[in-house]
Amino acid sequence: MKTKLNGFLTLLLALLVQVTFAQEKTVTGKVSDASGPLPGVTVLIKGTKTGSQTDFDGNFSVRANTGAVLQFSFVGMETVERTVGASNIINVTMQESAESLEEIVIMGYGSQRKTEITGSTVQVNADAIAQVPVSTVDQVLQGKVAGLVFSGNSGTPGSASDIRIRGVSSITAGNEPLYVIDGVPMNNNNVSATTAGSSLSALSSINSANIESITVLKDASATAAYGARGANGVIVITTKGGKSGKTTFNFSSSYGVSNDAIDGPTVLTGAEREELFYDALFNTYGAANGFNRAGAEAYYLSKLNIFGTSYSAWNAAGRPEANWAKVITNKDAPIQEYNLSATGGDETSSFYTSLGYFKQESTVIGSTFDRVSGALNFNKDLSSKVKFSTRNSASHTFQDGLLEASAYFSSPRAVKYFMPPVQQPYTDTGEINVLVPGTSLPNPLWIAENDIDNSKLTRIITNNSLTWETPIENLIFTTRANIDYQVYNYKNYRNRVRGDGASLKGTGWQAHSNTATYVFQNSLDYTFEINDNHKIDFKALQEFQKNRYYYLSAVGNNFADDDINNLASAGNPTGAYSEFTDWAIASYLGTVHYTAFDSKYVLDGTFRREGSSRFAPENRWGNFWSIGAAWNIYKEAFLADNSVISNLKLRASYGVTGNANIGLNQYQALLGYGTNYAGESAVVPTNFGNSDLSWETSNTLDLGMDFGLFQNRISGSFGYYQRESNDLLLNVPLSLTSSFASQTRNIGSMENKGFELEMNFSIIESEDFNFSIGGNMATTENEVTKLAKDNNGDEINITGTTQRVETGHPVYGWYMPTWAGVDPANGDELWYVEGEGSATTNNFNSAKQVWQGGSAIPKLTAGLNLHVDYKGFSIDASGYYAGGHKVYEEWHLYTQSPSRYPTQLYQGLNTLMDRWQVPGDVTRFGRMQYNAPPWQRYSKFLYDGDYLRIKDVTFGYDFNNEITDLVGFDDIRLFVRGTNLFTWVKDDLLLYDPEVSANGFTSLTTPPVKSIIFGINVKF
Amino acid sequence: MKKINFIYTLVFIGLLSFTACSTDDLEPSLEQNKLVEGSIVDVSNLFGILKGSYDILSLTGYYGRDFIINNEVRTDNCFANGSSGRFTTEASFSYNANSGYMWDEAYRALAGANIIINTDVTKLTGDQAYGKHLQGQAYAIRALVHFDLLKSYGQQHVGGTLGVPYVKEFKGSDLYPARNTVQEVKTFIMEDLNSAFTLMDEAFYDKSKQFMSKFTAKALESRVAVYFGMWPEAKLAAEAVINSNRYKIILAGDYVASWGQDGSSNSIFELAFSSTDNQGINGLGYIYRKGTSGSYGDVQVLNEVANLYEVGDVRAGILGYEGTRLINKGKFPDLTGFDNVSVIRYEEVILNYAEALFETGGDALTQLNKITSNRGASAYTVVTKDNILNERRKELIFEGFRYDDLLRTGKSIVKFSLQQNIASTIPYGDPRMTWAIPKAEMDANSNMVQNTGY
Repeated sequence: MKTKLNGFLTLLLALLVQVTFAQEKTVTGKVSDASGPLPGVTVLIKGTKTGSQTDFDGNFSVRANTGAVLQFSFVGMETVERTVGASNIINVTMQESAESLEEIVIMGYGSQRKTEITGSTVQVNADAIAQVPVSTVDQVLQGKVAGLVFSGNSGTPGSASDIRIRGVSSITAGNEPLYVIDGVPMNNNNVSATTAGSSLSALSSINSANIESITVLKDASATAAYGARGANGVIVITTKGGKSGKTTFNFSSSYGVSNDAIDGPTVLTGAEREELFYDALFNTYGAANGFNRAGAEAYYLSKLNIFGTSYSAWNAAGRPEANWAKVITNKDAPIQEYNLSATGGDETSSFYTSLGYFKQESTVIGSTFDRVSGALNFNKDLSSKVKFSTRNSASHTFQDGLLEASAYFSSPRAVKYFMPPVQQPYTDTGEINVLVPGTSLPNPLWIAENDIDNSKLTRIITNNSLTWETPIENLIFTTRANIDYQVYNYKNYRNRVRGDGASLKGTGWQAHSNTATYVFQNSLDYTFEINDNHKIDFKALQEFQKNRYYYLSAVGNNFADDDINNLASAGNPTGAYSEFTDWAIASYLGTVHYTAFDSKYVLDGTFRREGSSRFAPENRWGNFWSIGAAWNIYKEAFLADNSVISNLKLRASYGVTGNANIGLNQYQALLGYGTNYAGESAVVPTNFGNSDLSWETSNTLDLGMDFGLFQNRISGSFGYYQRESNDLLLNVPLSLTSSFASQTRNIGSMENKGFELEMNFSIIESEDFNFSIGGNMATTENEVTKLAKDNNGDEINITGTTQRVETGHPVYGWYMPTWAGVDPANGDELWYVEGEGSATTNNFNSAKQVWQGGSAIPKLTAGLNLHVDYKGFSIDASGYYAGGHKVYEEWHLYTQSPSRYPTQLYQGLNTLMDRWQVPGDVTRFGRMQYNAPPWQRYSKFLYDGDYLRIKDVTFGYDFNNEITDLVGFDDIRLFVRGTNLFTWVKDDLLLYDPEVSANGFTSLTTPPVKSIIFGINVKF
Repeated sequence: MKKINFIYTLVFIGLLSFTACSTDDLEPSLEQNKLVEGSIVDVSNLFGILKGSYDILSLTGYYGRDFIINNEVRTDNCFANGSSGRFTTEASFSYNANSGYMWDEAYRALAGANIIINTDVTKLTGDQAYGKHLQGQAYAIRALVHFDLLKSYGQQHVGGTLGVPYVKEFKGSDLYPARNTVQEVKTFIMEDLNSAFTLMDEAFYDKSKQFMSKFTAKALESRVAVYFGMWPEAKLAAEAVINSNRYKIILAGDYVASWGQDGSSNSIFELAFSSTDNQGINGLGYIYRKGTSGSYGDVQVLNEVANLYEVGDVRAGILGYEGTRLINKGKFPDLTGFDNVSVIRYEEVILNYAEALFETGGDALTQLNKITSNRGASAYTVVTKDNILNERRKELIFEGFRYDDLLRTGKSIVKFSLQQNIASTIPYGDPRMTWAIPKAEMDANSNMVQNTGY
């Protein structure tokens, strides 16, 4: 069909040409570039609209008069002109243009040459993304972008992670950046139906092998195009397009093993735990009942009906030591990935297609992840004026998750720290000890075999566009339609025998949701030049985005057989739930990009008007804008002869972006119909409502300097930003007497500011040996500057047991009683009544909460990378550092309190051995007691969060041409890669993995993994 | 070529008009909610909202578990064994303002009640007499909720005069109310119970007991009056319930089994729970018992309680053992909370009546022995305040009465057992006898005054 049409057109063209010109001849030839024949080159007779294109082998044929000038042009190449002379053959070799050698930065709605960028952006290219087998592609950004803080919430493959760009701009609205894939804003949030189990990021459906580049847009000039949703930064993902020419294949395969990145805390042995238990009995009952420390065991044995038989039974059984950490660990969990892609095309079309498979087991038992994905990107010139492009991907993601979001007893990660070592995982005959006595925790081996937490996500993204070069010169029209369709299935089953479903003879829960997001874009691009010195690019864009979410789930209990656990087999179906929500965003965008004197001066202007369904009709629309300017000083005449400075640019931008990342329908006062009473539907007011609700806005100032010295052997940039967020979409606490906890209002202000530095040193550059080292560093200073006030003019704070939102401090700054040590005289835990330096008390409730001088937001983050190659061998390494923040240890009540919890009911950490025993002891923990104290959170468990992690080290070898030619391949590369091989933690007391979620609490989720992966890439 | 361009132009114009959008295109769907405004046009709409308030009363934080457990675990009936770490804080009186307890659930239940009360029934379609009956229930809910709040947060036992804000409007003019005094709250409760009794109609008597009926208001009134020592009022209210002849004391033979049944003859008002609507692992059964499958079982019965009942008293059948642990086996017997939870039952009214008669010089003995004679227990020969309180403890154990009975009679929480979570006796008047006003409330509302000691 294609060739037929082309043939027809060529014939038509030839006919036309023949009619128009008389004395002409056929000129043929071959066009090539450094790497061979070049198909698709436009061959035009200068001053006319007639011409031809080179074919698959670079050959062309055109009829022209002698003396006519043939113009050969191709994207990214210098245009070549040849005059038709006596010869009928003209062969041309084209050179890459200077412009194309310059880095092009993909900005989402368009792309720009790096020299012309007025804002702050960082682009990560395919090389850095490839060979990183990850379940979610955002992981590759850690340490690569100054000012981007990445925190993996869980090491369970496929989990959603927290990304914060330049601090935190919102208190109770979302702080997640906007994702843009191939020019279209996308949702990539957590799709999991369960909040108790593993999360599943929609991003996990995207195969990183299909990604050409990821650009992070940080400042207003870069993000204002996304107006309302740009305040938290924008992550622009561009997928690989096709390359015309001979079809080439790329196959990559990798296999490796992973383990927890750090081992985590060590638990008590049975003997240690027993010793602490007798300590507790002696301290609590010794004096009143007349026994000494040595007599504690006898006292215990005399009161087994009160203290339980776990130690007496353990001693009778010969004190067997259980290793629960080993029981729950999936040692050397395999990771594997296979990708096959092909790209090619002819004069008018190109394609890229790929098929990928990724599988990763979790480092704990009973959890795994896999993904099958395919992509087909196809470009076709429908005519010389109309181009069609389609980008399609489909994937199926499966996650066997864990009950890991809290210290659920059925979570293997909770078992590691909570299960008493005196209880055994296996019976004497080697079977799973199903009913572990003396504990509330079920056996994780049993749970892993019999409980189900499965998520399945099928995602299809199709992005189709037509580009039309209109009859008006330099006016290009593009229309685009994108559909993102996600189908999600969740199945949860709790077995009949032991654990959460046992009391109901098995419980089942299945959920199904589908999410469809449509985006329609129409844009006009117009370029306009005034002599050669001034160039203006205009863009006008109109966009409409609509999201529909439909959810259906049902629950039931009472199953006949644990193996037959679909809901159809539930003897007692107990509930059905549904949800339907939608939202829509409409926007109009205009941008102006002006460059003068060969990009010496650059000016950018952006205006976006955006309307969101999240606000009442009268407050629906917001206006967002930015201006940016850049001065490429190195292009000035006075630096022309300078041999030192190869690049020097000053840039500045200022603008207003927005955030509407709040729940749906918040502006409306609503009645909910989701509850029931006595078997009938019931109605409760669910939403206070606020018809004044509108956009949260951020004003960002960005100043920067890009530089390069000695032919860019030393290059980098230095910048400063200040972002003031106003009219925060804040869930302002209401008096609970109003029947509501909070009302969403536009009130409050917050500021983020910091410096950012990026440096790259290319120390050795030669044919055989290259060595470069680079890094980035960013500071972040966050401060809440204004909050809502009540009718007495008092600031309305948001205070939790460990954190507080108040003006003058970072958002959710740590706020808790300050620990004053252990009283050496009697072993009491002591607290300062009103912060450090004040009087001390042994009554926790009379110690006031005070600001602890920090928050969970790292004040300093840094990334470091290194590259060495020598004759085909290469080493790449990167590291990440975050510091200046504090991290709070969760669950210390159960594992690190001198009470019954670690010694009788659960399990403790061996740090407890440092406890007070006799007067004069100076210890970290007070005297052991036989009590079950309440949750008391205080500064003893608040640690410095600083850590350094060697993210990856890759050692690779590229076979030279002699060998690849011998086996008939274009390229062969072997590599071995280590991830998270080394972690340094500043605070010795922080025993859990330091990479915690953005809220700053350690958790019992799967920690990040340390992995070793072997791989091969073949191109043929 | 021209033709093709023309076609494309058409396509582009089509797309352009298709996607051109206005403010109206941005109207969000509302498929599972309705706007508050304009949604109440028929009496049946009031019924939906009333059920919403009942449902909030049945939540875990309120009658679904915590409100009842907190009034047991802080007494000489129960303790928290730490099995899952639940209720140890309350049992050891170590709480602070970080826990809100039932403050938010209680005030949330008022939203619906106040919407109903402030609706002009004459403007609605449907059966207006029934509309008034529903309004009566809303008044009774409002009274009950404020009474529960007052008992939990008021300063009547810690030497103060402050009660809780009495909220009479939904989204009213004062969104940051100050605390009413104990006296004011008491007066408002009595007024509301009176309105409830007046508005409710016996024609709509609810046999399931899952909705309040006319004499529920009187039964509640007897409880409130006893709490405040308003003995004549207590006597009159209890008499009204008795004379209604709606309710019976459950017979000895049926006592234990009645806990597994809904809507028994002794029940005046109970909250609905079922196999499809329950608090599951966060319900009463799960916290009182460990079962064989590993439920929480945190709230254990003090060993001394085994001696509470004489031989032959059927109420001893409520107690049981799991291994060496003494537990509440019989009340709220379903492990996963399928049983209705009694809010007020006839035996309490009889005991309220007996106490009111005792205080006003009437024949309390006859009333008190109505209980013992239906329980296989020996009859009392003399009535003392202690006998009445002891009989209340035996009859109402595990139902959340003990704590209030101790406090309203000026008793301390005595340390007498190794098992108790408290290290020593909590003397009457100790600030910990009332909850703290929740920190979230203090943060939001500067008119709120915190209780002393927090």
